[in-house]
Amino acid sequence: MPLLKSPPHLSNAARTLTARHAISPAAARHRRCNSTVEPPPAGGHLPSIATSQILRTKRETALRTPGLSWADEDASAPSRTIVGGRETRKMNTYQAIRDAMGIALSKDENAVVFGEDVAFGGVFRCTMGLSEEFGRERVFNTPLTEQGIAGFGIGLAAMGHTAIAEIQFADYIFPAFDQIVNEAAKIRYRSGGSFNVGGLTIRTPTMSVGHGGLYHSQSPEGFFMAATGLKVVIPRSPIQAKGLLLSSIRDPNPVIFMEPKILYRSAVEQVPVDDFELPLGKAEVLVPGSDLTLLTWGTPVYHCETALHMLNSPPPSLEAVVPKSARSAKIELIDLRSILPWDVENIVDSVNRTGRLVIVHEAGLTAGVGAEIAAEIQKRCFLKLNAPVRRVAGWDIPVALHYEKFHIPDAVRILDGVMETLSY
Amino acid sequence: MIRTELSRTLRRAFSQAVVRRRELLPTTSSPIVTTLDFFNSVAGKDKQIPTYRLLDGIGQPLEGAVLPEIDEPFARRLYEQMQLLPTLDNVLYNVQRQGKISFYMTAHGEEATIIGSAAALENDDEVLGQYREMGVLLWRGFSLDQVMAQCFGNQEDTSGKGRQMPVHFGSPEHHFHTISSPLATQIPQAAGVAYALKRTPSRKSRSIAACYFGEGAASEGDFHAGLMLASAIPSPTLFIARNNGFAISTPSTEQYNGDGIASRGPGYGIDTVRVDGNDILAVISAVREARRRCLEQGRAVLLEAMSYRVGHHSTSDDSFAYRARAEVEDRKRIDNPITRFRLFMESRGWWNADAETELKARLRDDVMKAFKRAEGLKRCELGELFTDVYGGPEPWNIREQREELTGLLKKYGSIWEPWRNELGKFKNKGQDLLGPK
Repeated sequence: MPLLKSPPHLSNAARTLTARHAISPAAARHRRCNSTVEPPPAGGHLPSIATSQILRTKRETALRTPGLSWADEDASAPSRTIVGGRETRKMNTYQAIRDAMGIALSKDENAVVFGEDVAFGGVFRCTMGLSEEFGRERVFNTPLTEQGIAGFGIGLAAMGHTAIAEIQFADYIFPAFDQIVNEAAKIRYRSGGSFNVGGLTIRTPTMSVGHGGLYHSQSPEGFFMAATGLKVVIPRSPIQAKGLLLSSIRDPNPVIFMEPKILYRSAVEQVPVDDFELPLGKAEVLVPGSDLTLLTWGTPVYHCETALHMLNSPPPSLEAVVPKSARSAKIELIDLRSILPWDVENIVDSVNRTGRLVIVHEAGLTAGVGAEIAAEIQKRCFLKLNAPVRRVAGWDIPVALHYEKFHIPDAVRILDGVMETLSY
Repeated sequence: MIRTELSRTLRRAFSQAVVRRRELLPTTSSPIVTTLDFFNSVAGKDKQIPTYRLLDGIGQPLEGAVLPEIDEPFARRLYEQMQLLPTLDNVLYNVQRQGKISFYMTAHGEEATIIGSAAALENDDEVLGQYREMGVLLWRGFSLDQVMAQCFGNQEDTSGKGRQMPVHFGSPEHHFHTISSPLATQIPQAAGVAYALKRTPSRKSRSIAACYFGEGAASEGDFHAGLMLASAIPSPTLFIARNNGFAISTPSTEQYNGDGIASRGPGYGIDTVRVDGNDILAVISAVREARRRCLEQGRAVLLEAMSYRVGHHSTSDDSFAYRARAEVEDRKRIDNPITRFRLFMESRGWWNADAETELKARLRDDVMKAFKRAEGLKRCELGELFTDVYGGPEPWNIREQREELTGLLKKYGSIWEPWRNELGKFKNKGQDLLGPK
């Protein structure tokens, strides 16, 4: 598979943003060849990804990813020798997703990948080379109809096939809302278990990208959290994307798999090349702590990491607002990973130890995923809570283009929320 | 000399290239014209798509009609199944009126469309219906007990364990995908089902997906998506539009301004036919040929069956609020699909008044027997309320909520009248949740 040789640059992802409405693939390539001046990086507000400790950039740490289970240990399969244990390869998130789909397609003859513009590799390159490798019968473009894509996938899955559908941006999943919520989520239940669409996985890029405006930035996971019968999964990194996507594809339920698009090129890890899975419905503790639980998913994981650095050793400009007493606070950072069903057990366990909870998400505050979690935590941890559950979220407004830095829950807003909760 | 000739050749080549470019635009193979001519009809100026018919109103073959191959036993079977529909409909309609089931939808007036198309399909073609296609299941051997079990939602309901409203049938064994209420959602799903069939070696070039919907449902976006998908991503899908003139109270004149549903097929590049849905032989011929084309081309075909919804939309509807009773009575008398076929059978000597009396009595007995049996059965166990939401391990929220209901039942199940009465209707009276006393 074609790996990106040069350092990944977010601006390429940014350029493909406009592909849906404006530029043809050929035009996009043409522009890339002739451009000498790079536009400012779309992810300029995410300086932490380059130095993130969360990303596993060494083979040893990658192979020790918690919860990882190899899916190729099949006694009946031909024996294979891996010298010195498992191999890893440097991948960014889109390459890891492509890698997962390549494995799914090669191991399951009934698996197909489809959506708008997936045949040439996808506007975010997640399906690069798949149609050449597996044929246009298995990796194909659909007409531009989201309700059709979801319905088509449901039909395939109802026949026991594996349907890996792509909605080009999560912002455009709403035309498919009826098919997803009224149909995919309810088919097993309404048929008394005689039909199901467990083979359906809908992948879709989500969250802000620096300049996505109203319709290339949304985080609609909360709308799907109420759709019982579905699973909703959001990875934070290449290893996570590959392992969680393979689990989603093989899970016996329809899964909405939301990929934070700003991480497609910027997040790079050593990803195990073999077939592996990560568990759905399980959160992961990224940084253990005892004073406050900081819960998030997707892109804000990195904002949270930055906020914790700023809390422990504030830059000179912020020293005045970060009290000395707060700097030694031990914050437990948790990546929720699965929105539905969410890992209540681990979150409750953490909050019972720390007594404080801050939830961070990009979607708007009102009726966001944070509201559901906050309600459940106050019910289960009432006697252990030392401060109100705080939510640091997008404002209850659409994502306005030139205002994004003041809209998203960035590191300083998270830092402030953590300090306010610590000092309550 | 040589230069002149060369330049002449070049000039000719250049002008030919210009002409060719003018003739063919990059996104269409359409010819170029200089006359400004708008058009608004598939069949030509002021013309409508014709309706294919074989039998006249009194069951006589029309001049030039080529009847499908049909022998007496097959004809009798068609007729029996057509008669079974109104028999079931009358009983279940009245049963709903007595409050014994919550809801019902009849198929009065569409018997020929439903039974004829069912008979022309292979029994393992995958069917995705709207809700007025119970006849397809009956044709395939879905039993009267199964029909009753679904409508009553009793413990024998194989369609959905009593979870869905009546007439929402389903059976993988009969290749009939479970009906759901949201209109037209099955249309793009059918394209996906057909694509799966095409990718299944044992069913490739042998099975199609048949998708039924009404002319009202065809106004949904999913209609557009489904026909476009099954055409552009070639998938052997037979779309059968039941155009019965009404979507609840909305007459088709308020549903569309074009030439019905059939006129849309060519826009999607798919073979299309309009057929008299009250003529079962025409329906059989058309569906057989449509099915053959589906398999041959591997892509969608559209069939519009014209009929008239003689019954109310459902038991929640009084259609005389928006159409004259006389109009309905006229349609029933003038163009009754069952009568038309009976007259055809009689003209062949395959049917008579005695056979008619015997059949009606037998069907009514069978239906009443199944009805009485179903009425006496309990519902599924109450715990089925919480099962089948997910495959695999049950999520914590569902487990906890079942336990919460169990706690409430223990506390209130015997003292809160509405629950106590209701518990009695379930198999084991909720003991599967409450545990042994």
